[in-house]
Amino acid sequence: MLTFRVSRRRLALTMFAVFAVLTLFVIRLVDIQLVQAVELTKQADVIQSRSVTTYATRGSIVDSNGVVLADSVDRFDITAAPNLVAADGFDRKNADGTTTRVSVADAIKEIAAATGADAQTMYTALTKDPLSKWALLVKAVKLATFDKVTALRIPWVYDQRDPARTYPNGAVAGNLVGFVGTDGPLAGTELKQNACLAGTNGSSSFQTSADGVRLPGSTVVTKAATDGGTVTLTIDSNLQWYAQQVLAQQAQATGSAWGTAMVVRVNDGHIMADADYPSIDPNNLNSVPADSSGARSFSSPYEPGSIMKPATVAGMVDKGLVTATSHVDVPPRFTDGLPPGVFITDAEVHGDLHMTVAGVIMNSSNIGIAELTKLESEKDRYANLRAFGFGSQTTVDFLGESHGYVASPAKVDPVTTVTQQFGQGITVTSAQIASMYQTIGNDGKKVPLTLVQSCTAANGSVSYPNAGATTQVVSPFAAQQVRQMMETVTTQGYAHSLISIPGYRIAAKTGTAQVADANGKYGNDYIVSVAGLIPADKPQYAVIVTLAKPATIKNAAAAAPVYSTIMRQVIKTYRIPPSTTPPANTPVAW
Amino acid sequence: MSAVPVVAPTRPRRHSEPDASPRRHLEVAPSRAQRRARPRLLPALVTIGGIGVILLAQLVLSIVLANGAYQISSLQSAKYTAVLQQHALSETYDLYNSPQHLAANAEALGMVASGNAVYLNAKTGAVTGTATAAGGSLLGAGDQVGNALLKGSTVLTAQPATPAPTPTTPTTATTTATGPTAGATTTNSTGASQASTDTGTGGAGQAPQAPALLPSPTTH
Repeated sequence: MLTFRVSRRRLALTMFAVFAVLTLFVIRLVDIQLVQAVELTKQADVIQSRSVTTYATRGSIVDSNGVVLADSVDRFDITAAPNLVAADGFDRKNADGTTTRVSVADAIKEIAAATGADAQTMYTALTKDPLSKWALLVKAVKLATFDKVTALRIPWVYDQRDPARTYPNGAVAGNLVGFVGTDGPLAGTELKQNACLAGTNGSSSFQTSADGVRLPGSTVVTKAATDGGTVTLTIDSNLQWYAQQVLAQQAQATGSAWGTAMVVRVNDGHIMADADYPSIDPNNLNSVPADSSGARSFSSPYEPGSIMKPATVAGMVDKGLVTATSHVDVPPRFTDGLPPGVFITDAEVHGDLHMTVAGVIMNSSNIGIAELTKLESEKDRYANLRAFGFGSQTTVDFLGESHGYVASPAKVDPVTTVTQQFGQGITVTSAQIASMYQTIGNDGKKVPLTLVQSCTAANGSVSYPNAGATTQVVSPFAAQQVRQMMETVTTQGYAHSLISIPGYRIAAKTGTAQVADANGKYGNDYIVSVAGLIPADKPQYAVIVTLAKPATIKNAAAAAPVYSTIMRQVIKTYRIPPSTTPPANTPVAW
Repeated sequence: MSAVPVVAPTRPRRHSEPDASPRRHLEVAPSRAQRRARPRLLPALVTIGGIGVILLAQLVLSIVLANGAYQISSLQSAKYTAVLQQHALSETYDLYNSPQHLAANAEALGMVASGNAVYLNAKTGAVTGTATAAGGSLLGAGDQVGNALLKGSTVLTAQPATPAPTPTTPTTATTTATGPTAGATTTNSTGASQASTDTGTGGAGQAPQAPALLPSPTTH
């Protein structure tokens, strides 16, 4: 019985000891796991964990066929840790097991040979502060170069990713695409569509072993990177290149200050090409002066001249005031309602002429338009120009887009109220003119111009920019009548041999506008333009070419070759079949 | 049946044989509970063995997992490298695809822009449109649409007509096979060594595979 009691006591003691130890353990466990947990995790992270930025890729800008206009590319900065550089060089293991001693100077020479960078600069960067942990040797090298440097296996050389932006098509649509600076987007679509294009960088951390090796499977994504979306433009990059090429050639040949050329699809207002001269190459921001780094077609308003006349006449036909064959008496000069001593003339001196409205368009008679303004109230004429979109931005809402200026009845003077109906005393942008011809080509229905077709997010969801409302500016009849009148320009107008294309019915209008000089007086400079709709009976495309201040040819004949060449290319690109009906033979005189 | 009563009385006698009693080991018959409490070997072995197996399995599993983690890690880094490679290649492709590069190469090879488009109606056989002479050079006055990236890039040169290989030529490579290599010879290449070597090796790699035939593409 005694032994039994002893053993029971022992058992109790043992149990007590076990429980005591267990309690200690539990207390320590709670202390480590709960009380000090945050503090300890922090300490461990400092020792073991490394956090890295996962780069989100900025989205690309592509044309309507998916051709990349702006793209993000990988570049690598070659860096070094000067504090790890051993003064007597390092041993490099060769493939055959032997080692070679490589001195610091030799290592730098090897990097210089691989990257093409200056060895002396690198040596200075490396030796400036021997205790520093970081020094930049070469900035933004391509993958091939980076691989060459990696292959050198220099122990103190490191790298870091340095995403960059590239424009593989150069100046093709450079005016529209814009560019990105070191701190972000600076111009054009890059800036305007930044919300779609920009990605959000993420971060992730991973554990390292004592010797700094990344432990597999320990990566924790603290924040996922979201890549930017793709912006699709309505542009056709091949046509855009063609337009820019021929525009620039002719602009240089005629000594023009600047020029624009636009191709717009009539049924949906998509801008197929919008060329500017000069046009920036976003890869080289010094390729043009700063004032040419955007799109003049949107940002620079000018007095358009006679190319406005179809808008004025369309409004009058719409109100039932005239038709293509209505008679107009055209005197040698127009003075009605103007202040004493002020008169309006035509480009060529003439006597009393009997023109139809079509003749007024064909001859581009300022006096004819002035006579017609008597038929319509000032308010209605102003409303008509505004309805065509003059005086307000297009829905493209391009960076720095101008409104242009149309004088309202409240502000207008007796001269401008007449002259703005034929494009003087009014300022417009090339985009507004393109929109006006789109409207006339689309049977009076104005479809807002579109440059940005869509934004495709990284997850595949597609969003479309606010397109704006389609409006019926003039009746289909009015639009058809105006196109008939414009057809006489390609069959009988002074530049018809330059702008007509055999086999095709084309409605066109030329413009030769005087440019006001610094003193506000009209000088000897002109802005010349040609606009056309193909085919005239059922237009598919509108082409508008404008050249500013040509030195050698002072009328629309300067712009005609560009217009004609682009129009032929549009025919080829979009396979427009020749017309099967003869041109409308509208009488121009009575 | 009559034998049964005779045999039966002998049985108890056999049990109480006198010489058997001293060697007999006496023992308290274990109660049911005692019998149950006695350790049983088999379950113990099974348990210990089971724990051993589980521990072993865990070890093996963690070894496999660790190996897998390293494999994942190396595959991930291989994928990263491949993605970078793909980016670099598509960057080059996009550049070569640019209109400036295509036009410069096309014109260097003697190509000109076409004239007016003329259409053949397949149904009626009618030809519509007005034919004109070819449009000539687009880059006559120089390339007006700059592209800084193309500086120093490869431009093809018009290749002089290669004489047909004489039958006595021992080499198996024919004009078709050497065509791409010779055609891609760099001219004004300065900084585009990468580009020219790419083209060069592509052509050279194909030639030996398909002698005397058009190089056939390798598809996967």
